[in-house]
Amino acid sequence: MIETLRASRRLVNSMLQELSSDRWNQATAAHLLNRAGFGGPPAAVKQLAGLGLAGAVDFLVDYEKIPDPTPNPDWAKPEPERMLHLQAVNRTGTPEEKRKLQQETQQLQRQRILELRGWWLARMARGPRPLQEKMALFWHGHFATSFEKVRDAYFMWRQNDIFRRLATGNWPLLLLEVGKDPAMLVWLDQAQSRREHPNENFAREVMELFTLGEGHYTEHDITEAARALTGWSLERQQQRYVYRPLLHDGGEKTIFGHSGHFDGDAFIELIVAQPPAAKFITAKIWNYFAGDMLAPELNEALAAHFRTNGNHFKPFLRALFRSEEFYSPEIVRNQVKSPVQWLVGTARMLECDLPPTLVSWGLTRQLGQDLFAPPNVKGWDGGVTWITTNTLLTRYNDAQSLVDGTVPPLTANDFGGKGAGNGQKAMKALQRLRIGGVSVEKILTPEEREHNPAILASLQNRLFQTDLKKNQQETMQAFLDAKTKMSDADIRTAIRLMMSTPEYQVT
Amino acid sequence: MKNEITLQTRREFLRRTVLGSALTWTVPAFLADTFSALQAQAAASATQTVTGKDATILVVLQMAGGNDGLNTVVPYANDFYHRARPKLGLKAGDILKVSDDVGLHGALKGFKELYDNGQLSVIQGVGYPNPNRSHFRSTEIWQTASDSERIEKYGWLGRYFDNACAGAEPTVGVTIGSQLPEAFFAAKPRGICFNNPQNYRFMANGSATEESYKKLNELEMSGPGLTPDDGSGGMLNSGGSIAQLLAGMPMTGGRAIDFIARTALDAQHSSEEIRGVAARVQNQAEYPASPLAGSLKLVAKLIGGGLPTRVYYISQGGYDTHTNQIPTQQRLLQDLGDSVKAFVTDLTAQGNLSRVLVMTFSEFGRRVAENANGGTDHGAAAPMFMISQRVNAGLLGHYPSLAPQDLFQGDVKYNVDFRSVYAGVLENWLKTKSLPILGQQFPPLAVV
Repeated sequence: MIETLRASRRLVNSMLQELSSDRWNQATAAHLLNRAGFGGPPAAVKQLAGLGLAGAVDFLVDYEKIPDPTPNPDWAKPEPERMLHLQAVNRTGTPEEKRKLQQETQQLQRQRILELRGWWLARMARGPRPLQEKMALFWHGHFATSFEKVRDAYFMWRQNDIFRRLATGNWPLLLLEVGKDPAMLVWLDQAQSRREHPNENFAREVMELFTLGEGHYTEHDITEAARALTGWSLERQQQRYVYRPLLHDGGEKTIFGHSGHFDGDAFIELIVAQPPAAKFITAKIWNYFAGDMLAPELNEALAAHFRTNGNHFKPFLRALFRSEEFYSPEIVRNQVKSPVQWLVGTARMLECDLPPTLVSWGLTRQLGQDLFAPPNVKGWDGGVTWITTNTLLTRYNDAQSLVDGTVPPLTANDFGGKGAGNGQKAMKALQRLRIGGVSVEKILTPEEREHNPAILASLQNRLFQTDLKKNQQETMQAFLDAKTKMSDADIRTAIRLMMSTPEYQVT
Repeated sequence: MKNEITLQTRREFLRRTVLGSALTWTVPAFLADTFSALQAQAAASATQTVTGKDATILVVLQMAGGNDGLNTVVPYANDFYHRARPKLGLKAGDILKVSDDVGLHGALKGFKELYDNGQLSVIQGVGYPNPNRSHFRSTEIWQTASDSERIEKYGWLGRYFDNACAGAEPTVGVTIGSQLPEAFFAAKPRGICFNNPQNYRFMANGSATEESYKKLNELEMSGPGLTPDDGSGGMLNSGGSIAQLLAGMPMTGGRAIDFIARTALDAQHSSEEIRGVAARVQNQAEYPASPLAGSLKLVAKLIGGGLPTRVYYISQGGYDTHTNQIPTQQRLLQDLGDSVKAFVTDLTAQGNLSRVLVMTFSEFGRRVAENANGGTDHGAAAPMFMISQRVNAGLLGHYPSLAPQDLFQGDVKYNVDFRSVYAGVLENWLKTKSLPILGQQFPPLAVV
């Protein structure tokens, strides 16, 4: 027994060794860029490879050193006057006035959330800090909050801003900021919690989904935690968090066996101190960036590292991206691209613009990842669940639209389902549009274009950073050889074909 | 039995692509034996399995937006009803009587005919404890069959596929629409969705592109996914594993690429199948011209074409009638009744009606009292409709009380948990145990 424990301890200690420098090359650099960011063109991979492992990881992790001048949407601020007007009409307006205002508000919010989707996708596709955006996307899936209930684009932006600001920060601090932010207060009903009727929604989910996982707390812990959390409230006119002492239950609570006059802040502290907390969040981050947990000892090692570094994500991520395990054959090219990764990664690798927001949104939604509208508080399942027969065919067909710069076969439903009228209007507007598309001269040199094997090798390196299977290479070679005079359109179709493979769906 | 039905086309595929050529030198011997056995079985039962004539089919029809149950199945003789709805209340002359107390909305002529033929049942007062009045959340509760306080990751139909349809074709679940409903979410994603069969395909700008696409997506049976000593080997040795492997199920510890490669083949195969059926089978009834009727026409074709589908999912939107409810609901219910009636006529002509059960649901009913805008606000319990040749016809359950003291925050209380209806559908219609799917034992309602 003691022997096995010792053996296990030795195993934990042998984990997270640094990747040996002779394994650092273009392929490992590409893997790092694909996972810690959204991939990039050959030049970006080459540049990263040139920095060495430690330099490359620092470049991605210490992103604060790179200025990101992206301005916020101009409406991303509280609007006390508009809120006041809303309240007044709701109190004293006629039914007709109320209805009209409700419609206007809804339209305004829909317009803003669409803009926000485009704003974020653009940051992912073109921004200078890919890891920060990749972590923001992780947190969005983790604290999965939907506009469908929150119904306020400013609140969704605020939450997104926290995810970005604290992307690689301190765990309890992030929990507190997210918990006390309007979007979460509305999403999990904390804003409605009162001393007399504590609402248990946030108390339950914060433990089950955000920090500990099922089995690491009791129903009694939930009830008591809900009491502790009372007082966390929403100031609707100023559109911000407020602590309301009158709503707070100041009595004694017992949570995880500890008794005291806990409030919400104290409860969050208690959670993070629970032994399963570090294992839970580090396993989820490992899964997001790497994939399967290779061994229980790896999770032990990740959790230990996280705790030793004061529950900070930055040193943890640095160790993760430098570890031998992150580059193991079980991990590399074994992750299904999420729809966002697929779209944004394609734009980055092919050096083309994202389609207009409405189209980008339609695409990601069609493929199962509607930003700011995850299916529920558990977020997206990810992994192989991204792939169904129809999402796969859709990816293959959308690839053609992306490389050609045409509007993909979207339907009114891809623009929100309910407002079919709006969807149809959007479709009509789109038919007049042409979108980015790939410029062939950007991605192939004139010399490469002269020789079909060179075209194939270049595209393969750009899209996969590895070789396709032999029969696939032969198929592509035959496709190119059959063209007597190679046009740009032919090259784009070749790219589309290479994207219409199982291989392109993984990274 | 279910494997016989669902495996057929996969066997056909195997014969064509694997047994045809590569088998002799790429697949280990023990596997080759199994393939041969499958092939023999398939040949023996080919006709029966192609049409799947004995399998029951469920068609789920979502009335999205929260249909006003009170003005659908109308308690026209009830004083509380008329007091709560001075403007919207329907009188005896506006409805189609089915009993001394209850009548169907006058627009539901199609449903009334089905009712009179003994092909329609009305389950009264269906809901769940602690009703949620958010469209989003209440729809989710219906789709995942969860308790009001609990979030479930997977849908009830997804769990049905996971539990009872291992090894099934991807077409075991078909949604007509552009988004897979949450009800289909599953640990092992299955089920396909499309608006128009013409879009459910690889769109190629030329035959060279089409040919190349097929070659690029050929399954390489010698790949790592089939070597018995890697992660997938254990699965190959367990019961039913060939079926699972070929059904494109994710393999724990397997490569993501293998799963995607199998899904790519499934996509190619089901795309050809569906487009073929849609082009070949003709509708045999006059349908109205509406999106709902369009969906039902397509479902009828797919049923007629013998797809191995167990669940079809379609929806009709627009029921969120906060303002000016009368004309909107009139139009929607008319469409509903006429479309479903045409669908039943079509299936009758096909000889398939006895295999099909249509079930309607809406995320909630509406408030008993009308609002000031000629509409109604979000409520709770409401009726469901079941349509089939073998349905337990008539009014099931009893009408919820409308007496003010019996309401909860202005809403009628449920007297049938919707999960009892699901349990009845699963056990009595789809012939599978409901407990592993619903997670709790609900008394199955005798729907058929």
